[in-house]
Amino acid sequence: MTDHPSRPAIPSEPRQHGVPPRVRARITRYLLALLAFVLIAPLVPYAAAYLGAGNVPNPGAGLWNEVRQRAGPADANTQARGVESAVLINQVGERWRQFRSEMLVPVGAWLLLGTLGFLALFWILRGRIPLEGGRSGQLVPRFSVNQRVVHWFAAILFVFLAVTGLVLLYGRFVLIPILGPEGFSATAAACKEGHNLFGPIFPFAVLAMIVLFLRGNGFNQIDLKWFFRAGGLLKGHPASSGYYNGGQKSWFWMVVLFGIAISISGLILDFGVFGQGREVMALAHVVHGGVAVVFIAASLGHIYIGTVGMEGAFESMSHGYVDANWAREHHDLWLAEMEAAGMVGVEPNALEEVKRHDNIDFKGFGSPGTKAVQG
Amino acid sequence: MARMKFLCDTERCIECNGCVTACKNEHEVPWGINRRRVVTINDGEKGERSLSVACMHCSDAPCMAVCPVDCFFQTADGVVLHDKDICIGCGYCFYACPFGAPQFPTGGVFGSRGKMDKCTFCAGGPGEANSAEQVRKYGRNRLAEGKLPICAEMCATKALLAGDGDVVADIFRQRMAYRGAAGLGTGWGVAYDKGLRKASGLDGKAAGKED
Ligand code: HEM
Ligand code: SF4
Ligand code: SF4
Repeated sequence: MTDHPSRPAIPSEPRQHGVPPRVRARITRYLLALLAFVLIAPLVPYAAAYLGAGNVPNPGAGLWNEVRQRAGPADANTQARGVESAVLINQVGERWRQFRSEMLVPVGAWLLLGTLGFLALFWILRGRIPLEGGRSGQLVPRFSVNQRVVHWFAAILFVFLAVTGLVLLYGRFVLIPILGPEGFSATAAACKEGHNLFGPIFPFAVLAMIVLFLRGNGFNQIDLKWFFRAGGLLKGHPASSGYYNGGQKSWFWMVVLFGIAISISGLILDFGVFGQGREVMALAHVVHGGVAVVFIAASLGHIYIGTVGMEGAFESMSHGYVDANWAREHHDLWLAEMEAAGMVGVEPNALEEVKRHDNIDFKGFGSPGTKAVQG
Repeated sequence: MARMKFLCDTERCIECNGCVTACKNEHEVPWGINRRRVVTINDGEKGERSLSVACMHCSDAPCMAVCPVDCFFQTADGVVLHDKDICIGCGYCFYACPFGAPQFPTGGVFGSRGKMDKCTFCAGGPGEANSAEQVRKYGRNRLAEGKLPICAEMCATKALLAGDGDVVADIFRQRMAYRGAAGLGTGWGVAYDKGLRKASGLDGKAAGKED
């Protein structure tokens, strides 16, 4: 190194390992500039496009707006012949799916389970509402044969449609783990066929219910008081009522309104042969499913109070007569009317059968049929 | 694993319906079922465009999410298939699908539709590939034979692309780049409107001459 006097002495740095600091700094600067260029270069055409975008509309925008039908229905054509074949993007699908998966399924489940839980709690706290005064043995006619036949026709159909409908709504979560995919598919197919075949009879049941149960179902002042006293459900707080109380009237009008809504929407879903598109079907399904879960939840309360919840209530719909004491405790104003009309203490023939049946000793689970004949 | 995707280039589709015909022929699709269809917007007017559509084999498929009997499945290639032995023909997948892909053989009263049928990306369905049963129910399984969907294969202008999504996207990106920068180079205006071409600095580059 030192044997070259013509050259200035090279400082001792280069003997160190690596690049001298000045060179290193220059390399770093180059690298940074290169990096900046690499990062910015691709943006140039975009920036140019952005600056130019003010006076040059994207020629594709119009097309894609029409594809998405943002600017109203596109003037579209296709050789395919089917429902909405010329529609490129389904406008309702996502909202409908979100309603079904995020509203109908979870909210419906909470509503139904909540109602069941509430009824269970009520059963534990209040128990069966008894006939405080026991049975008088005096009978008051309440529902005619026609009314009872129509009621049970509607009720059986309702339960059938509710169960088959709920299988379609919740089976994927509840039944597939139990039955397996094949087993559930067969079940769901049967439920769908049953629901879709028997569903169209339901409007007739609703109509017959309206015709035969409309009388006496108008709301009045007494119902208001009845509601304020919580329908006399709490111990020691009886509430006066006529032929129907506020709760029964509410249930009747619910059956009318929900019955009509569920029938119309159901028929639209069931008869997709009039070329109705996805918008109509989705709307019908939202109404149908939404009404169905509320309707079913309300029916649970109705079924509870008509069977296990209240002593003496079921017989009004089974053989059509109630005990005078039951009428006094739950429909006092109506009993007064019946007394005035001399209709308390009648002896129906049908009841004889029931009484005899009631006397049968079921010990040993013998056939009630043979005993009844002997008795 | 590759994710299979379709892409239809509206600048190339000439509404010849070759893809539709190829599909019907390959899979012996019954009458009334359109696994693929060509839709034309502004038919016969300036700015007319055609698009060939079928099931898009969505990554997070709405039909799969909504099916009450859960009969859909996605293959390792991202193809959305369904099991006709499980389907109950409720039509919910048709209401949910963004593209109108699910089809039904009958449209009868009492909600009867028959088993749903849709584009399989030429990948058949459950069961043994190209067994007589699979072919009868779902059509030919070309993917199992190492081939891509027949519709794209038959497309005369190569408007319809099918295959690995990355490859398809690359091809399309190349075309776009050739047609002009940043989305300005597409459309009727660029191809035929001199004023617009000048304004976007594309004068002299004919949009249709990329190949
Ligand atoms: C006029 C009477 C009715 C008709 C025509 C009818 C028809 C339908 C139809 C066509 C569907 C679609 C299911 C499918 O096609 O697979 C459906 C679903 C359903 N229906 Fe009905 N229905 C009726 C009454 C009822 C009643 C009274 C209830 C409940 C008490 C009910 C509850 C349901 C439920 C929960 C679903 C399932 C919704 C879902 O899975 O998202 N339906 N009904
Ligand atoms: S049927 Fe429709 S929703 Fe389902 S994967 Fe195909 S395009 Fe997507
Ligand atoms: S029609 Fe079949 S595939 Fe479509 S949602 Fe209903 S059961 Fe599932």
